[in-house]
Amino acid sequence: MHQAWIDGAPADLPAAAAAAARMLDASRQPLIAGLGTDVAGARAATALAQRIGAAIDHMNADALLRNLEVLREAGFMLTTPSETSLRADTLLLVGPGAIDESSELSRRLLGAAGERDGGRPIERRIFWLCPGRHVGGAGQIAVIGGEVGDLPALLATLRAVVNGRPAGRSAVPAPVLQGVADDLKAARFGVAVWSAADLDALTIAMLCGVVDDLNATTRFSGLPLPPPDNAVGVLEVCGWMTGFPMRTGFGCCRPDHDPWRYRATRLVENGEADCVVWISAYRSAAPDWSGESPTIALAPADARFTKPPRVHIAVGAPGRDHDGIEHLPMIGTLAAVAATDRSEALSVAAAIAAIVTHLADGPPSC
Amino acid sequence: MLTCIKGGHVIDPANGRDGVADIWMRDGRIVDAPPAARADATYDATGKIVMAGAIDIHSHIAGWSVNTARLMLPEFRLGSAARPGSTPLSNAGWPAFEIGCRYAAMGFTTVVEPAVSPHYALHAHLELADIPIIDKATLAVLGNDDFLLGLIRSKESAAAVRDYVAWTLAATRSLGIKVINAGGAAAFKENLRAFSFDDVVPAYGVSSRQIVKTLQHAVNELGVPHPLHVHCNNLGIAGSAESALVTLAAAEGLPLHLAHLQFYGYGKEGGHRFSSAAARLAEAVNAAKSVTIDVGQVMFGQTVTVSLDVLRQFQARHQARPRKWAILEGDANGAGIVPYDYRPADFYNAVQWAVGMELFLLIDDPWRVFFTTDHPNGAPFTCYPEILALLMSRELRAEWMATLPAEAMAVTTLPAISREYSLVEIATMTRAAPARLLGLRDRGHLAAGAVADVAVYENEPDRARMFRAAALGFKQGALVVRDGVPTQHVFGRAFAVEPGRDAAIDRRLKAYYDDRYGISDDLIKVPDHAIGRPEPFELISCAQ
Repeated sequence: MHQAWIDGAPADLPAAAAAAARMLDASRQPLIAGLGTDVAGARAATALAQRIGAAIDHMNADALLRNLEVLREAGFMLTTPSETSLRADTLLLVGPGAIDESSELSRRLLGAAGERDGGRPIERRIFWLCPGRHVGGAGQIAVIGGEVGDLPALLATLRAVVNGRPAGRSAVPAPVLQGVADDLKAARFGVAVWSAADLDALTIAMLCGVVDDLNATTRFSGLPLPPPDNAVGVLEVCGWMTGFPMRTGFGCCRPDHDPWRYRATRLVENGEADCVVWISAYRSAAPDWSGESPTIALAPADARFTKPPRVHIAVGAPGRDHDGIEHLPMIGTLAAVAATDRSEALSVAAAIAAIVTHLADGPPSC
Repeated sequence: MLTCIKGGHVIDPANGRDGVADIWMRDGRIVDAPPAARADATYDATGKIVMAGAIDIHSHIAGWSVNTARLMLPEFRLGSAARPGSTPLSNAGWPAFEIGCRYAAMGFTTVVEPAVSPHYALHAHLELADIPIIDKATLAVLGNDDFLLGLIRSKESAAAVRDYVAWTLAATRSLGIKVINAGGAAAFKENLRAFSFDDVVPAYGVSSRQIVKTLQHAVNELGVPHPLHVHCNNLGIAGSAESALVTLAAAEGLPLHLAHLQFYGYGKEGGHRFSSAAARLAEAVNAAKSVTIDVGQVMFGQTVTVSLDVLRQFQARHQARPRKWAILEGDANGAGIVPYDYRPADFYNAVQWAVGMELFLLIDDPWRVFFTTDHPNGAPFTCYPEILALLMSRELRAEWMATLPAEAMAVTTLPAISREYSLVEIATMTRAAPARLLGLRDRGHLAAGAVADVAVYENEPDRARMFRAAALGFKQGALVVRDGVPTQHVFGRAFAVEPGRDAAIDRRLKAYYDDRYGISDDLIKVPDHAIGRPEPFELISCAQ
C-alpha cells in the first residue's frame, strides 16, 4: 500500500498522482527541485522537466556549480578517491569541509596510504589550510591558517611562493608558508582535498592553479569531495541527457542553462515558479526558500514540512528500500547499490511514472 | 511483416554483390526473395544506392570523459542549431539522444565506444543506453592496471592473464580489449613524463611491449573476435611514426589493431621538424597482413580531444584552444579532455589533415583500413560525409590543398596521389570490414540471414550530400530514418563477448578488490537490470 496525501489527508497513489498531474498541467512555470534521488529518478525527473517545460535544480547545486565553474573557465587536474587512499604521500586539505569525520572516505584518507613503497607502507603528511575549527588528531595534521576567510589570500601567496615569485604578507608567517611550499614540491604524489560547500569558485580556481603549478616538477592532483544527495550522480544524468548541468530551464524551444535564472530558491522567492516538485529521497531535506509555491513532494513518509505540500507521495531511499544507481564517494563513480532493507516503498522514478500517466499530453517516447 | 526495398543498386562487398537487386526483409532479418510473395511494405529504391548500415569502430560517445567534455563546453551546445521539437530532448545540442539521431541520419547502425575504464563501465553503459536507434559496443581498457602489471611482474601464467581478461570483459560487458599507451599512465604516476615501447614502468619492471604482447596473446587465445585494439605510445608528437612502426612490428603475424594511426604519422623532416611519415606507415601496414588500422582523420574546425591517454593529454593541456582542460589521474588509465581547434592556416594542422588522407589512399586493402576521425579527437563524426567526398575525388582534394599552406603540403605525398575510392571500397571499409573485425557475423552485409540493418542513399554526384542524409534507414527491418530524419526512436543493444574463464579468478579478484580498494568487486560490474531497458545486451560468440 503506497502512502500518499492530498492536502494532508491520506489518499491512494493514483489519486495523488492525478492531483499532482493536474497541478503540473495547470502550471506555467513548473520547477523540479531538491533532486535528491538516484540515477533512475534523475532520468525520470529530467525527462519530465523537458516534457512540461520545467526548470531543474538540485538542492546542493551551489557547491556543485562552483567546481563546474572552475572546469568551464580554466580546468583542473583531479584524481580518484582510491588513488588518493592508495598513493598519496601528501594531503593538502583546504577549508573546513575537507574532512567530514562521519564519512568513510575521510576516515580512509586520514589513515595510512595503501601502496607499499619498497615494502614499507607510505607515510602520509597532512596539511590543513584554514580548517576554521579545532583539529584533533594528536599533531598528525599540520594546521596552516585559521578562518576560511583567510583562504583566498593565503592560497594566492602560497601559489606565488611555490613558483618562486615575490609574495606579500599573509595571515601565515613567510617561513611557514615557504616550508609548506617546499613540502608540497617534495611530495611524490600529493592530493589537494576540498569541499566546494565552503569555498567560492575563485578560491577553488586558485587552489587548482597551485596543483597545476606543482605538476611542473612532481605529481599532484585534486579531489573535490562530492556534495550529498547524489548531487554528482544527478549532474552526470543531466549532462548526458541535456548537454547541460542542473539550473536549466526547458520552457523555451531549447534547454536554457542559466545558474542565476534557474536557481530554485530565486524562482520560488521571486514568485516565478508557480508549482514545485520537491524531490528528496535520501533524507527528509526541506527546501531552503522562504517563499511559497504549491508543492508536490516526493519525500520520505515521515518528512515534515514547514509549509505542507499540496501533494505528498512517500518514496523510499535508494540503496536501502530499493536498488539504485548512484555516485559513490568511496570510488568516485556511478555504481549499482543493492537495497539493504528492501521494502515496498516507491522509488522516485516510479512515483514520477505514476504522475506522468495522468499528464494531459501523451506519454513521452524516451 | 514482409518488406521489400525494390530496384536499388545493392553494394554488398562481403557477398560480392554490386548491381541492381531487391532486398527483402522479414522479422528483422534479410530473407531471400520469397517466391510469388507480396510485400506488406515496398520502398522504391530505383536509382539509389543500397548498403548495409554503416559501422563505426572507434568513436568516443559515452562515459565520464565524454560527459565531462559536455559539461566543460556548454558554449558548444549553445552554438548548435535548434532541432525540431518533435523528438524528446532533441534541442539539447549533442547529448546522448542527439548522438544516436545524427549517426542514424547518415545511415550508421552500429557505433563502438572504444575507451571504457573498467571502473567507469556502468556510467558508460548508462549513457549508451540513452543513445537511440544505433547498436553499440564498448572496449574495456587494460594495460595500466595494477592487477595486470602485477601478473606480468610475477611472471604468472598465460592462463591467469586470460582469466583476468575474460573477467574484465564480463564485468564491463565489453566487445573487446583496448590498451592505451601501455604502462604510460602507470609510469606517469611515478613522475615519468615520456614513455616509449621499450620503456619500463618502474614499480613493476614491466615494459610497454610486454604489456601489449601479453594482452595480444590473451585476447587472441580467448577467441575474442576483435583483435587487441592498440593506442600506441607517443601519440601526436613529431617522430611518433617510430612508435607506430615498432608496435606494428610487434604484431608478429598475430592480429593487432592500431587505432587512429594518423596521430602517429609524423616525421621530423624539414624546417619545422614536422613532416608526414604516412608513406612509410602505409608501406608497413600493407606488408603486415595481420594488422588493421583506423585512420583518425583530422578535419578543420573546433573540437575537443577526449582520451584516456592521461600522459599525452597532460603534456598537451596548455595548448588547449579554448584555454581550459581537465585531467583525471584515474585508478588505472586516467583521462584527459583538451579542447582543440584545427586551423587550415596552421602548418601542423594542415600536415595532420594530409597525413590522414595519405593513409586512406596509400593503404591498399579496404578490408584493413577503417574509417574514423577518432571522434571527437580528429573531428566530430558529423564530418564523415565530407571525408568520404574527399576520398572519392582527387579534384576535391586538390581544391582543398590549394587553400592550405604550400609548405605543409610539400612535406607530404598527398599532392601526388590520384587514387579515388569507389563506392564498393567505401562499402567495404565502412560496412563489411568493420563487421568482420568486430565479429558481427550477421551484420555489415545483405545476404539472407543478416540482420536487416540497411541504408539507402540517393546516388548523388555530390558525395558529401549523399552520405550526409540517408534517403532511407532500416534498423532490424524497421524504418528508422527518412531523408536524414529519424522517424522513430527505437533503442538498440550493446554487443558483448563473454569467453569462458576459471571461477578461481572471480574469487581472487573479489579478495583483491576487498584488500586494495576496500570495496566489493560487485560495485564495478554492470548488471543487466541496472540499464533500464529491456534486453540491453547481445552476446557475440567467440571463436571456437
